[in-house]
Amino acid sequence: MRRMRWTWAPLGGTVLLLLLFSQAFSAPPQCQLGVPAIKLGVQGVASGPHADYGRQIQMGATMAIEEINAKGGILGCRLEMRFMDDENRPATGVRNARLLVTEYGAHFLYGTDSSGVAMALGPVLKELNRIQFFTHAATHRLTEELVAQQGIKQIVRVSAPVYQDAIAAWVFKDNPAIRRWATIGADYEYGYAVWGLFRETLRKFRPDVEFVGAAWAPFLTTDFTPHISAVMAQNPDAIIATPWAGEAVTLLRQAVLMGVFDKIQVWFQAMGGSVDVLEGIAREVQDGRFKGKLWATARYIHNWPNTQTNRAFVERFQKRWSRLPNYSAETTYSAIYITKAAVEKARSLETDKVLAALRGMQIVTPAGLRVFREEDHQFVYTVPAGRVVWSERYNMPVLGDLRIFDPKDYWRWPPFTPIPMGK
Amino acid sequence: MMNTVLYQGLVGISLAMYLWLISAGLTIIFGVLGVLNFAHGSLFMLGAYIAYTLYGMVGLPFGAAVLLSLAVVGAVGFAMERFFLRPLYHVDEAYQLLLTFGFVLVLDDAVKILWGGVFKIPPIPAFLDGAWRVFGRPFPVYNVFLITVGLLVGVVLWFLFERTWWGRIVRATASDREMAAALGVHVPRVFSSVFVFGAMLAALGGALGTPVRVVAPGIGSAMIIQAFIITVIGGLGNLKGAFVGSLIVGVLSAYGTLFFPVFELFFIFVIMAVVLLVRPQGLFGATR
Amino acid sequence: MMRNGAIGRAWLGVRLFTGFLLIFFALLPRFSSTYVVYLTIHILILSLFALGFNLLFGYTGLLSFGQAGFYAVGAYVCARILLVRPSLLLGVVGGMLAACLVSLVVGALSVRHTRIYFSMLTLAFGMIIFSLAWKWRDVTGGDDGLVGIPRAPLVLGPLAVDMTRLDHYYSFVFFLAVLAIWFMYRIVTSPFGLTLQAIRDSEVRASFTGIPVRAHRFWAFVIAGTYAGLAGSLLPPLENTVTPPVAHWTTSAEPVLATLLGGIHSFAGPIVGAFLLFVIKDLIVRVTIHWSIVLGITVIVLVMGFRGGVAGVLAGLFQRVVAVKVSRTPEPIPVGSEGEES
Repeated sequence: MRRMRWTWAPLGGTVLLLLLFSQAFSAPPQCQLGVPAIKLGVQGVASGPHADYGRQIQMGATMAIEEINAKGGILGCRLEMRFMDDENRPATGVRNARLLVTEYGAHFLYGTDSSGVAMALGPVLKELNRIQFFTHAATHRLTEELVAQQGIKQIVRVSAPVYQDAIAAWVFKDNPAIRRWATIGADYEYGYAVWGLFRETLRKFRPDVEFVGAAWAPFLTTDFTPHISAVMAQNPDAIIATPWAGEAVTLLRQAVLMGVFDKIQVWFQAMGGSVDVLEGIAREVQDGRFKGKLWATARYIHNWPNTQTNRAFVERFQKRWSRLPNYSAETTYSAIYITKAAVEKARSLETDKVLAALRGMQIVTPAGLRVFREEDHQFVYTVPAGRVVWSERYNMPVLGDLRIFDPKDYWRWPPFTPIPMGK
Repeated sequence: MMNTVLYQGLVGISLAMYLWLISAGLTIIFGVLGVLNFAHGSLFMLGAYIAYTLYGMVGLPFGAAVLLSLAVVGAVGFAMERFFLRPLYHVDEAYQLLLTFGFVLVLDDAVKILWGGVFKIPPIPAFLDGAWRVFGRPFPVYNVFLITVGLLVGVVLWFLFERTWWGRIVRATASDREMAAALGVHVPRVFSSVFVFGAMLAALGGALGTPVRVVAPGIGSAMIIQAFIITVIGGLGNLKGAFVGSLIVGVLSAYGTLFFPVFELFFIFVIMAVVLLVRPQGLFGATR
Repeated sequence: MMRNGAIGRAWLGVRLFTGFLLIFFALLPRFSSTYVVYLTIHILILSLFALGFNLLFGYTGLLSFGQAGFYAVGAYVCARILLVRPSLLLGVVGGMLAACLVSLVVGALSVRHTRIYFSMLTLAFGMIIFSLAWKWRDVTGGDDGLVGIPRAPLVLGPLAVDMTRLDHYYSFVFFLAVLAIWFMYRIVTSPFGLTLQAIRDSEVRASFTGIPVRAHRFWAFVIAGTYAGLAGSLLPPLENTVTPPVAHWTTSAEPVLATLLGGIHSFAGPIVGAFLLFVIKDLIVRVTIHWSIVLGITVIVLVMGFRGGVAGVLAGLFQRVVAVKVSRTPEPIPVGSEGEES
C-alpha cells in the first residue's frame, strides 16, 4: 500500500502542475458588477421532522451555483452562498435574514419553507431592501397581502402558492359518481385554505356535491386512525387530505391498513407528489395497495414537463446528489437562474433595477415556462395533478395519468378577494 | 350509529395503548428516581430509529429488531444514568431536568447526523398486515396487536412490581430511599436498573410504532408533551394512573375527532391544569 | 452592611465596571453594525425575560415552564394595540399590563404548588396560551400570526420620536432595560427579595418565622410574569410580526437556558446568560447547521461541572481576589436539597 502511494505521487504532481499552469494562462474572469462575488443567502428547515425540505433547497441552490460558476458566473462574477437553518421558527428566520444581509453581505435571499416564517420575513425584507425569492412557503397571503396590498416589493415567489391544490376540483368535477367529499385536514391555515378553495371551486361546477365530513389533525400528528375512522363513518366517495411530508406517509399507511381504499373512489393527497412522500409510499404503490385511487399534485414534479431542459436537470441532479429533485429543489434552482437572467438584464445588483428587470419576464425553467405576474410578484407556471403509479424507469412511484390545466383556470387572479377559510 | 360509536371507541383504545407504552417508562422513572426525564421522547425516537435500521435496512425479523433496539437504548439509558444523572442526585431536581433537556438537544441532532433528515418508514411486517372486521368495519390487525401488547405490558409491569423481589425493592426505594438504604438496599443500583427499564419501555413504544409511523428527527419532542399530560392526569409516578390517563386521553381524542371536529388539544391542557389544581396526586393517586 | 477596605474597593470596582458597561451599550449604535444593534436588542429582551424568570427560579426556588405564555400575551397585546393605534409607549405598556393581569390569575392558581407540580402546572398554562395563539384566529391570525405591525413612534405629549430607525428603537429598549434591571435589583435587595431567598432555602423555617409564604411566591410570580410581558411587548415593534412559536414551551426554555448559562444565584446571571446564549448560537450557526448538538453539549457540561454558571465562576474569582465573602452574592446553595421533604 505504502509503495503504491509513492508510485502515484509523480502523476499527482504533474496534474497539479498542469492545473496551476492552465490557471496562470487563463485570465481570471472580470466581474462587471464590481463586487468580489455575488453572495446568495439561502435558508430552509434543516432540523426537526421536515429537515429534508431545507436540504432539498440547499441541494437545488448548490447545483445552480456550481453550474453558473462553471460557465463563468453572472457577468463574470462568481456566485457564492451561505445556507442557514430557520428551524421552522419565524424568529430564527428573521435573525438569519438579518445576519445574511448585514453580516454576510448577501445580495439576494432564497428559500423558506414555512408560511409563518415567510410572513415574518416580509417586513424585514422591506427594511433591509433585499429581494427574497420564496421557493416553498405557499400561503396566498404572502403575495396577495404583503405584495399586492401592502406593497412589499422585495417579495418574489417562484413556487406555486396554495391554489395549486385547488386543481383537485378541476380534476374531478366531471365525474358524476363522486358526490360526497370529505377532508382530513392539516389543522392550521394551510389546511383551511385548501379546503376553502377546493369547496369554492368545486361548487361552481357541481351544485350537487356534498361536503360530508372534516377531521382536523394538528401539526405533528402521528396517529391518524381516529381521523380516518371519523371521516369514513360518513361514507364519503372521495377524500382530500392536506397533511404533508412524513405526516402524509403516516396517514396513507394507516389508511391502507384500515381498508379505506376498498370503500372510496378517490383519495387526493395535496402535496403527495413530493419526492419524499412518493419514496415513503413506494412499497404500497408497488403492491397496488391504493388500487389506483390515489391522486396527488405538488409544486413541481420531476417527470413533467417532458422537455429537454427538465430531463437534463433531473439527470444532473440525480448524478450530483443520488436523489430525485423535490419541488423545493427545483424552485430554488430556478430562482437562481431567474436571478441570473434579471441581473444580466439589469447589469446591476440594486433591488429596484433587478425588480425592473423582472417585469414581464418569461423564462424557461425545468418546471416549464414561468411568467412573472407583476401585481403580486408571483411566477405563474403549470403543474399537473395525476394518479400515483409505479414507474419502472425511476424505480419508484411517480404521478402518471396526468391532468393538465391552464393556471388561468384554477389559480387566483387579481384583484384578490378573501379565501373563504375555516373549518 | 351504535357501531360507529363502538368502533371509534376501539380506535381510541388503540391510541391509548400506544400512549401508555410511552408514558409508562416516564412515570416509573419519576416515581422511583424523582427525575422528570425530558429525554424520554428522545429515547423513544432512538428506539424507533434502531428498530427501523435493523428491520427495515438490515432485514432482521421485526420481533428481533424490536428486542435489539430495547437492548441498545437500555445501554444508552444506562450510560445516561450512571455517568450523568448519578452525580446530580444530591443537587436540586431542576438540574436533573435541565440535564435531560441537554440530552434532547444532543440526541435530536445526533440522529439527523446518523440517519439524515429524510423521514423513514419500513414495510409493514406480514403478520401485522390486513384487517379484521369489527363492528361492521375493517379494523387493522396492527391496532389489535398494539392493544394486546399494551395490555400485556400492563400485566408484566404489575407482576414485576407487585410480585417479584426486584419490584419490592424498587417500591421500597421509591417510598423511602434512606430507609431502603439502611436496610441494605444498594440504592444506586436500583436507580440504574429502573432508569434502564424506563428507557427500554420508551424504546418499545418507538420501535413498535415504526410499521405505521414515520421516524424523523424531533419526533420525540412532540411525544414528550403528550406523555407529560398523561402522567400528570394519572398522577406523577403513578403507574396505574398512567394507564388510566392514557385511556382517558386516547378515548377522548378519538371521540373528540368524531363528534367535535373543532376539538382542540387545548382541552387536554385544560384538563391537565384542572387535575393539577384539584388533585395534584392525579386522578387515581393516593393522597400523600 | 459593613464597608471595610477590601469590600469597599471591590464594590467601587463593580460600580466602575457597571458604569463602563452602561456607557458602552448606550453608545453601541455609534460604532457597530445594524446587525449587532439588532442582536443586542434581542439580548436585552431576553435579559428582561430571564431576569423575571430568575426572580422565580433562583430567588424563590420555583422552576416555571410556562413563562413564554406571559411573553406571548405581552407580544400579542402590544401588536394588537399598535395595529389599531400606532403609539409605541401605549403598546408596550398595554402589553406589559395585560401580561401582569394574566399572571395575577395564573399565579394565584399556580403558587398553590411547588417543585415539579408547579413546573407542570405552569407548563399546562403556557401551552393553553400557545393553543389560543394558534387557534383564536380572529384575534391572533392563527399560525401565520399578526403581520404588518408598525414600529410606531414614541409619543410623549407633543413630542414624537421616530422609531423606524433601528438605532432609535435600540435606545428606547436600552433605556427601558436599564430601568427594569435597576428596579429588579431594588426588588431582590429589598426585604421582600431577601424573604424570597429565605423561603427558597427553607420553606418550613420561613413559615415558622411568620412569613406568608404563598403570598410572597404569588408576588414573585406576578413580577416575573410582568417582566416576561415587558420583554414580549418589545418584540413586535422590532420584528413587525408575532407568531405562535413565541408562546411555545421551547420559548419558555430560553430564559431557563440563559439563566443556567449565566448563573442562577448571581443577580447578573440571567443577563450574562442571555448575552452568551445569543453570542454562542450566533457563532455556531455561522459554521454549522448542527447548532443543537453543540448547544446540548454546552448545557450538559454546564450542569455537570459549572452549576454556578459563568457569572458564578466570575463571582468566585472575584471573591478569591478580595479574599472576603461579599454578603450580597450568596454562595451557590443547592435549592431545595436540604431541609424540606415532600
